[in-house]
Amino acid sequence: MPTSKNDVLQGTLDLLVLRTLDVRGALHGYAITQHIQRGSADRLRVEEGSLYPALHRMEQAGWIRGRWGTTEKNRQARFYAITAAGRRQLDAEQESWERLTDGVSRLLRFA
Amino acid sequence: MSWFQRFINTVRGRTLSQDLDREIAFHLAERSDDLASRGMDTDDATLEARRRFGNRTVHTEQARDRDVLLWLESLLADTRYAIRSLVANPGFTTVAVVSLALGLGANTAIFSLANAVVLRSLPVRDPGQLVLLDIRDKQHAAEAGDPYFTNPIWEEIRDHTHVFSGSFAYANRAFDLANGGIVRRANGAVVSGAFFHVLGVQAVAGRLLDRSDDVRGCGGVAVVSGGFADRELGGAARAVGRTLSLDGHPVPIIGVADPRFFGIEVGRKADVFVPLCMVNVFDGAHALDERSRWYLEVMGRAPGMTPEDVGARLSAASSAIFQATLPSGWSKANQANYLSQMVAAVPGAGGLSELRHQYAHALWLLMAAVAVVLIIACENIANLLLARGAVRQHEIAIRLSLGAGRGRVIRQLLCESLFLALIGAALGAVFARWADRVIVAWISTRHQPALLDMAIDWRVLGFTIIAALVTAALFGLLPAWRATRVDPQTIMKSGGRGMTGHHRQRLSRPLVAAQLALSLALVTGAGLLLVTFRNLDAVNPGFRREGVYIVQTDFAHAASDTARLPAMERDVLDRLGALPGVRSASQSAFTPMSGAGWNEYILTAGYVVHDARDSLAYFNAVSENFFSTMGTALLSGRTFRAGDNESPVTPAIVTRTMARRFFGVDNPLGRTFRTPVADSTSPPYEIIGVVGDSKYNKLDEQTSPIVYLPLGARSSIQGWTQWNYELRSDLPISSILPAARDAIAAVSPSIELDATTISAQIESTLARPRLLATLSSFFGALALVLAVIGLYGTLAYDVARRRNEIGIRMALGAAWRDVVRLVLGDAGRIIIAGIVVGAVLSLAGSHLVSSLLFGVAPQDLRTLVGAVLVLLCTALIATMLPAWRAARTHPAEALRDE
Repeated sequence: MPTSKNDVLQGTLDLLVLRTLDVRGALHGYAITQHIQRGSADRLRVEEGSLYPALHRMEQAGWIRGRWGTTEKNRQARFYAITAAGRRQLDAEQESWERLTDGVSRLLRFA
Repeated sequence: MSWFQRFINTVRGRTLSQDLDREIAFHLAERSDDLASRGMDTDDATLEARRRFGNRTVHTEQARDRDVLLWLESLLADTRYAIRSLVANPGFTTVAVVSLALGLGANTAIFSLANAVVLRSLPVRDPGQLVLLDIRDKQHAAEAGDPYFTNPIWEEIRDHTHVFSGSFAYANRAFDLANGGIVRRANGAVVSGAFFHVLGVQAVAGRLLDRSDDVRGCGGVAVVSGGFADRELGGAARAVGRTLSLDGHPVPIIGVADPRFFGIEVGRKADVFVPLCMVNVFDGAHALDERSRWYLEVMGRAPGMTPEDVGARLSAASSAIFQATLPSGWSKANQANYLSQMVAAVPGAGGLSELRHQYAHALWLLMAAVAVVLIIACENIANLLLARGAVRQHEIAIRLSLGAGRGRVIRQLLCESLFLALIGAALGAVFARWADRVIVAWISTRHQPALLDMAIDWRVLGFTIIAALVTAALFGLLPAWRATRVDPQTIMKSGGRGMTGHHRQRLSRPLVAAQLALSLALVTGAGLLLVTFRNLDAVNPGFRREGVYIVQTDFAHAASDTARLPAMERDVLDRLGALPGVRSASQSAFTPMSGAGWNEYILTAGYVVHDARDSLAYFNAVSENFFSTMGTALLSGRTFRAGDNESPVTPAIVTRTMARRFFGVDNPLGRTFRTPVADSTSPPYEIIGVVGDSKYNKLDEQTSPIVYLPLGARSSIQGWTQWNYELRSDLPISSILPAARDAIAAVSPSIELDATTISAQIESTLARPRLLATLSSFFGALALVLAVIGLYGTLAYDVARRRNEIGIRMALGAAWRDVVRLVLGDAGRIIIAGIVVGAVLSLAGSHLVSSLLFGVAPQDLRTLVGAVLVLLCTALIATMLPAWRAARTHPAEALRDE
C-alpha cells in the first residue's frame, strides 16, 4: 500500500532510490549514490549517511529487497532490487512529486 | 512499522547492525577507491570518504533503534502520564481501585477454590492416564454411575480384565490412633497392593506397599504420609519401624510416602495407608468375601485410551464379572437387577472427591455470580470514566489539535485503565487469599476439614492477569473511544463547556439499566438460595433438633471376651441415664445425619421391585428409649421392650414410609419381611410398631423407609462395637460431657469415646446450602449496591447538568413537585428497563440453580417479585436524593451561575 509522507526530503530520497532501482535493476548502496549524482548531472547529491537508514526502512516497508552479493572488484556488497509494492509506491511518489513541482512552478510563474 | 517488526528488530539487533557495518565499510572502500583513482593518496582518500559519510554511529543507531526507542519512550511517557493523572484524582482512583479490588478479588478467590477443588490434577505421574471406574445400570449407561465396588468384583476386575497397565482399589477409612479413652482420629485409606506403583508415588524412607503386602491373611503393615511422619513421628527417618495403633491393632510402619502425595481424594488428606487385606483384620474374618459390601473405589491407568475406550472394553467383560460375583441367596428379581449392571469409566486425573461432588456445581455458580459483580463494577468505572472524559474534553482536544493521533490518545487513556485494573488485581489477590481461608473454614466440618492445596499455580495467576486485562478493556475501551471522538475545533470554541453531556447520557443510561438488570438476576438467585436454606432449616427431620447430646463410643477393646460386651453396653446406658440432668438416654448403632449408615434390600411377598434402589431401606439398631429420647412419634403398635431380642421372631419397628411402600398400608402390624444375608436370606422380621418418618443422612433427601431392630437382634451388624448414646438434657454439653466420661470410664477405661450433638450433625449437612445462601446474598447485595451507586451517579450528574434548565422551569412557575416528577420520570424509565430485562434474565438463568434448590421452584414468582421490590426500594432511595436536590434548586442562583 503506497503511503505518502509529509517529510518532503525523505520522500524525495525514497523517490530517487526507487526510480534508480526501477531503471537500473539491482544495485548496491554506493552505486545508487553514484547513479543519482550522475543521472542528475551532479545537481543532486545524496547525503551518504542517511542513505543506509533509508534503505533499511524501505526494505522493512517491503518496497525493496536486499541481498548480499559480490561486486566486480570481488567485494561483498548488499544489492537492492525494487519489489512490486515498491513500483506502486514509486508511482504514487512520482505523482505527488509532479503535483508538487507543478504547483510550485505555477506559483512561481504567477507570483 | 508493525509491533512485530519492531520486536524482531530489538531482538535481532546485533545481526542487523553487523549487516549495516559491513555495508558501510563497503561504501567507504568504494568511495576511497574512487578518490584514489583520481589521484588522491590512500590515507587522505580514506579520511575524505569518512568525512563525506558523516557520523557513522548516529546513522547506524537511526537505522536500528530509532523506532524502538521512540516506542519505548512513548510507552514510558504514557505510564508516567497515567500515574500522574490517577494521583491527581485521588477520589476517583480510590473508588475505582477499591471496587476493582473487591470485584477481581472475589473472582480470584472463587476461581482459586474452583481450581483447587475441580481443576487440579492429582500430584502423581501422568494423571491424565488415570480413569475412575463406576457401576451403571445397563439401561442408563449414559448416566454417571455409582463409584463403589465390592471386593469380589474388584478381584474379578484385577484378575480377569486386561485393559489397564495397572489398577488399584481404594477405600477411605478413618483410624483411631488412641488405644482407649478419647478418640484420636487419623484419616487414612485401605488400598490394594499396586496403589503406589500405579500412581508412581515414591517413598522418602523405607518402602511403599506392593503386591506382596496384599495377600489374604496378611498381618498388616502401614505406610504413612510425609506430613504425618513429620507431625507425629519426628520425621521420615524415625518413622520406619515404629508401630501404630490403628483401631486398637498394632501395625508396623514400613515406609513414608512423598510428602506431596495426599492420597487420591481432593479435600481430604490421607495419612495412613494399609493394604486391602487388612479389612479382614478390622472388619471380621470374612469381610473381603462379602458380596454386598460396597466400599471400594477402583482406578486404572490406561495409557493412550480414552475413558470411553476403557468403558467399552469393561462393559464387554461386565457380564462375566457380575455372573462370577452374583450373591446366590438373593431373590430372583434382585439377582436379575444385579446382573443388569455394567462397569464403566470416567476421567480420573482429578482423583476422587466428595468435596468436588458436593461443591463443583456450587462453585461454578458462584463463579458466574462474581463475574456478574465484576461486570457491574466495570460498568460503574466505565461510567465514571465517561464523565471524566467529558471533563477532559478540552485537554484531549488540545492534544488532538497539536497533532496527537487518535490511536495515541486512546492508548494513553487505556494505559490509565490498565493501571487501575492491575492495582485492583494486586489488592484483590490479597483479599482473595483471606476470603479463601474463610470459605475453606466454612466448608470444613469437625471430623472432615477441607484440606485443599490452595497454592497459587499458573492457572490462578493466568486467570487473575487475564481477568485484569479483560476488566481494563471492558471499562476502558468505550470511554476512551468516546472521549477521543471529538472535533477539536468545536470543543475549543465552546471553551470546554458541556457540548457532549447529552452524548454521555446516551451511553450511561443503558449501562445503568444493564447494571440494574444483572443485579436483579443476582438478587433473585440469592433469594432462591436463601429460601432454600430457610426451607432446609425448617424441615421437620422427624426427631428433636435441639437438646440431644450424642456420646460416640467404641467397645472394640473394652473386653477380651466379646460375650461380655452387651452387658457392658447396657451398663453404660444405665449409668448415663442416671446422670443428673439427663432426662432420658438411649443407645443406637447409628445416629441421624452422622454420615454413617446401614441399608439392606427388603425381601417381602407381594412387593414388586421396579429397580434395585427401590427395595433398599435404611436400618438401625436401637434401645427401648430411643424414640422417646429423639422425640420420634409412635404411630401404632408398641416400641421395644427388654427381651425383644430374644423372642423367636425378631420384632421390628418401621417408619410410615416403609409401611406404605412395602405393605401398602399404614398399619402393617404382624406382617414380616426378610433381608439378603451373604448368599442366603435372613430369618423373618415381624413388624410390631410404626413410627413417624425421619431423615437419615440429609435434610433434603427424599424420605426413605427405615427399619429399627432391637439391640442384640440377629442382623448384619452382628458384633457392632461403635455404639452411640443419645442423652436428652437441658444442661450445657460442658457439664454433661465430663460426667459422661467418668461414667463410661467406670465401666471400662478402654472404651473409646467422643461427643457431639444432633444439632451439630445437622449443621454439618447444611454447610453447602449455608455457604451458597451467605455468599450469594453477599454478592447479590454487592451487585445491588454497585448498580444503585451507578444509578445515583448518573442521576446526580444529570441534575447538576440540567440545573440551569430546572432553574428556568422553576422561574416560569414549575412547582417542586414537577421537578421531582421530571427526575423520577427519568429514573423510572431506566429502572423499568432494568427490571424487565433483569426479570427475563432471572427466569432464563434459573435452571442454573435448580439442582441446588430445596422446596422452591427455580422460577418461583414470589422470590422474583420480592427481588424486584428490593431493587425498587433501593433504586428509589438512590433516586430521591438527586430529585430532592433538583427540587431545592433556587431559580435565581441557578440562573446567575450561568
